[in-house]
Amino acid sequence: MKRPPLQRRTLALIAVLVPLLVLLAYVALRSGPLAPVAVTETRVESRAIRPALFGIGTVETRYTYRIGPTFPGRLARLDVHVGDHVVAGQVLGEMDPVDLDDRIRAQEAALRRADAALLEAQARQSYAAAQEARYAQLFAARSTSEEILATKRQELRIADAALAAAREERTRVGADRDALVSQRANLKLVAPGDGLVTLREADPGTTIVAGEAVVEVIDPASLWINVRFDQVSASGLAAGLPARIVLRSRSNESLEGRVLRIEPTADAVTEEMLAKVVFAGVPAPLPPLGELAEVTIDLSALPAAPVIPNAAVQRQGKQVGVWQIRNGRPEFVPVKLGRSGLDGDVQVIDGLVEGARIIVYSEKALGPRSRIRIVERIAGTSR
Amino acid sequence: MISLAGRDILHSWGKFVFTGFGLGLLIGVTLVMAGVYRGMVDDAKALLDNSGADLWVVQQDTLGPYAEPSSLNDDLYRTILALPGVAEAANVTYLTMQVRLDERDVRSMIVGIVPGPTRGAPGWPPYLVAGRQITRGHYEAVADVATGFQLGDRIGIRRNQYTVVGLTRRMVSSGGDPMVFIPLKDAQEAQFLKDNDAIWQSRRRTATNPAFDRAGVPGLLDAVLDSQSSNNFVNAVLVRLDAGAEPDAIGAAIRRWQRLTVYTRPQMEQILVGKLIATSAKQIGMFLVILAVVSAAIVAFIIYTLTMDKIREIAVLKLIGTRNRTIAAMILQQAIALGVIGFAVGKITATYAAPLFPKYVLLMPQDSVAGFLAVLAICALASLIAIRMALRVDPAAAIGG
Amino acid sequence: MSGNGIRIEGLRKRYGSGDTAVDALKGVDMQVAPGEVVGLIGPSGSGKSTLLKCLGAVIDPSAGRMTLGDELIYDEGWRVRDLRALRRDRIGFVFQAPYLIPFLDVTDNVALLPMLAGVPNEEARSRALELLSALDVQHRARAMPTELSGGEQQRVAIARGLVNRPPVILADEPTAPLDSERAMAVIRILNEMAQRYDTAIIVVTHDEKIIPTFKRIYHIRDGVTHEEAGAGRGVE
Repeated sequence: MKRPPLQRRTLALIAVLVPLLVLLAYVALRSGPLAPVAVTETRVESRAIRPALFGIGTVETRYTYRIGPTFPGRLARLDVHVGDHVVAGQVLGEMDPVDLDDRIRAQEAALRRADAALLEAQARQSYAAAQEARYAQLFAARSTSEEILATKRQELRIADAALAAAREERTRVGADRDALVSQRANLKLVAPGDGLVTLREADPGTTIVAGEAVVEVIDPASLWINVRFDQVSASGLAAGLPARIVLRSRSNESLEGRVLRIEPTADAVTEEMLAKVVFAGVPAPLPPLGELAEVTIDLSALPAAPVIPNAAVQRQGKQVGVWQIRNGRPEFVPVKLGRSGLDGDVQVIDGLVEGARIIVYSEKALGPRSRIRIVERIAGTSR
Repeated sequence: MISLAGRDILHSWGKFVFTGFGLGLLIGVTLVMAGVYRGMVDDAKALLDNSGADLWVVQQDTLGPYAEPSSLNDDLYRTILALPGVAEAANVTYLTMQVRLDERDVRSMIVGIVPGPTRGAPGWPPYLVAGRQITRGHYEAVADVATGFQLGDRIGIRRNQYTVVGLTRRMVSSGGDPMVFIPLKDAQEAQFLKDNDAIWQSRRRTATNPAFDRAGVPGLLDAVLDSQSSNNFVNAVLVRLDAGAEPDAIGAAIRRWQRLTVYTRPQMEQILVGKLIATSAKQIGMFLVILAVVSAAIVAFIIYTLTMDKIREIAVLKLIGTRNRTIAAMILQQAIALGVIGFAVGKITATYAAPLFPKYVLLMPQDSVAGFLAVLAICALASLIAIRMALRVDPAAAIGG
Repeated sequence: MSGNGIRIEGLRKRYGSGDTAVDALKGVDMQVAPGEVVGLIGPSGSGKSTLLKCLGAVIDPSAGRMTLGDELIYDEGWRVRDLRALRRDRIGFVFQAPYLIPFLDVTDNVALLPMLAGVPNEEARSRALELLSALDVQHRARAMPTELSGGEQQRVAIARGLVNRPPVILADEPTAPLDSERAMAVIRILNEMAQRYDTAIIVVTHDEKIIPTFKRIYHIRDGVTHEEAGAGRGVE
């Protein structure tokens, strides 16, 4: 057949249809499920990683003095307010003594009466002793009867006993008075140590049950953080490790500290380990109790080993591994993973050698038959 | 013999190509519509794939955790983990809510996952497109790129700020909302602690309740408040089985002895595809049918018009002895050529338009092939009217009078 | 092959039936010899179109005989089987308007007929080119019909009518849209072609300018023809 005579038109039609078909073929093969998957690659590097632990906790104090009366009563006065610094032994306030002072006066009167009774008993006893000695001499001279002497002796013993009773009675009354005085002193609320008043629960006039705290005093020097670590990621946690503390209100400031102790009991419900972390120095201003703090504990660096980013770790069926690039195709390699750092690096114990090319990010889930296209970064992730 | 259809198309290619483009846009809409349906099914499957679970353990007699709310105690997984055949069991929470970034907020599904030193627990995003997986037990997030978040962004979920450390893709809820993965404990708290004002009010309410504020029982109120602001519930336990374990048997054991409801992968798919998106699917199916009918009508109309324009030539052709077969073939070929151009344009348009849709549009090759065959069939059917008309043309009409 | 040209005897055509039946042709006799050009003249409604359609084997006559060359086409109700092939191979048509196929170029418009008959493309085209040369339009062989002048179009149409060397050509008002000079040129060509290809040509017309050129004229009126001698001046 001769060339069709419609050259110009044919060319125009071809100019429209050919790009259309090329585009169609491109679209059919390069998009949708048949398209190669964009991936980024990296090489396995040998590097030392510093594992770290991350936990959150609240600021608490080691010593919290909750001061209150031992007897129920009414609060008479309270001289301190929240934020006041107090020293050991300082009187913070006092309970209303009610009739205690009167009872002490009565006891003092009773004491004086006991003293008088004692003097009387002493007088009777010394007279009885003199009588007994005189009748003993008379009996020796046979100038009195034995019966009279026996009577005098008996009188002396009675006087002795009366004296002892009077002495003990005085001791009793004295002790009674001392007890009331002690009780009187106990009505004073005294700071057991230096500290800061954090709580004033009641005001004068309030009736308080025994055991209820009126003021709470803390020791600012003993601030610590009660940190909770997830049990699954708490391996290596030990006392003495250095810690970095970020308080929630000062999130761009990292404070130094260290792990004081690991609590011997863990929280069974939340599956967390508890630890106490102390500040290296008392932070100023003082963080409020109960403030949330993030604590990062750096463990000692591990020896260098092949390391991969945790984003590369994938799961195929029951196996954990990575996609290795071999001859431009992805191949799933099961790996055994070791420790990991908080920045996302994971040690590979087995399965990969240093320098192997592995896939880090992929546009979609990979399969053994996926075609891949290596790119610098996955589209849509740059700012 | 020369191709009459080909020559006619060459002669009036502009008309053909432009008509083809118009038809193509219609076909493109049809393909996108099919893609929307596929996208919905794929969203549902992606949700299941991404959770990486063999069994879903949920509250008894619920269709949870995706189709219905479900609530379980967070220590139940230990019991399940002890069952023979269970390789892994992990708590997970799902909560759809707004996530704030500066002034903007994005509707997302918050997924609480069990953090760990390496990957492993079911529920983790299976792959990332940037950044890293969560390593800290608190205040880190991995977000789907569809949220628009970038690495390093500080996003607000309820009362806490989270740092975006990783980005993933195609992690969506069955409703198409992008997922944001955060550590489980934070997610539990987020489900429960709504906002500061609510907490204050709840505390005040409790404090005014005389039952809790009793003289003589110091500390009772604090204990009550504490218990109110903690949440030991999760939405589901994702279970991964040992190789070779029988999902139905283990599911039956959990159902019987733990008094919980268990779904296997096919059952879950049935719930998501069969129940959650069933009406939407029917809706789209209706649209597909309507679009197919409209397309057919339009193709028929176009071919009819093109044939009407040539009625005189057809009469001449018949008069000078052209066989009916030849004329019918000419019209049929033209209809099919129109269909092919339309399909090509439609497929290209659909492919480039698909990413612009807010929800996922999945164009499957088999849908395209089926669509192509349907277009050809529709074109062939539509040309029947024109062919019938052409065959009824009286060759005598060409002779004056 | 042309043998006897075309001959019809007692051709009748009745439309409809019963009371409403109309007799368009009431026994027409006509004979045109190969190489002869005759005129067919008649007013509107005279049965002229019906006769032309019967001659063109588009509609079947109700009665009568028709012989084309030495082949019997109709005989009192009987007719040959394949009228379509007959039209394609044995009858040439030239219309009032050229009715060229707009999407085929000049060569293919002419070559289409032999191609439809199964002649290979190359041969059909060379036949077409030969005719186009004979009609002096070979220089427009690659043009599209819309690019031609009215006279050129008509010549191409004539070439199409001739391409299968039919024993008869039916020309329906071939000069109607043309001025007298071009009309004369067309008639001259028809005469030349009739001579050259030994074809019988029937020209249906009411163009006063060309009527005097025919040697023989059939008048048709009320379904009956009357033969008369034309002026026979021919074309200079």
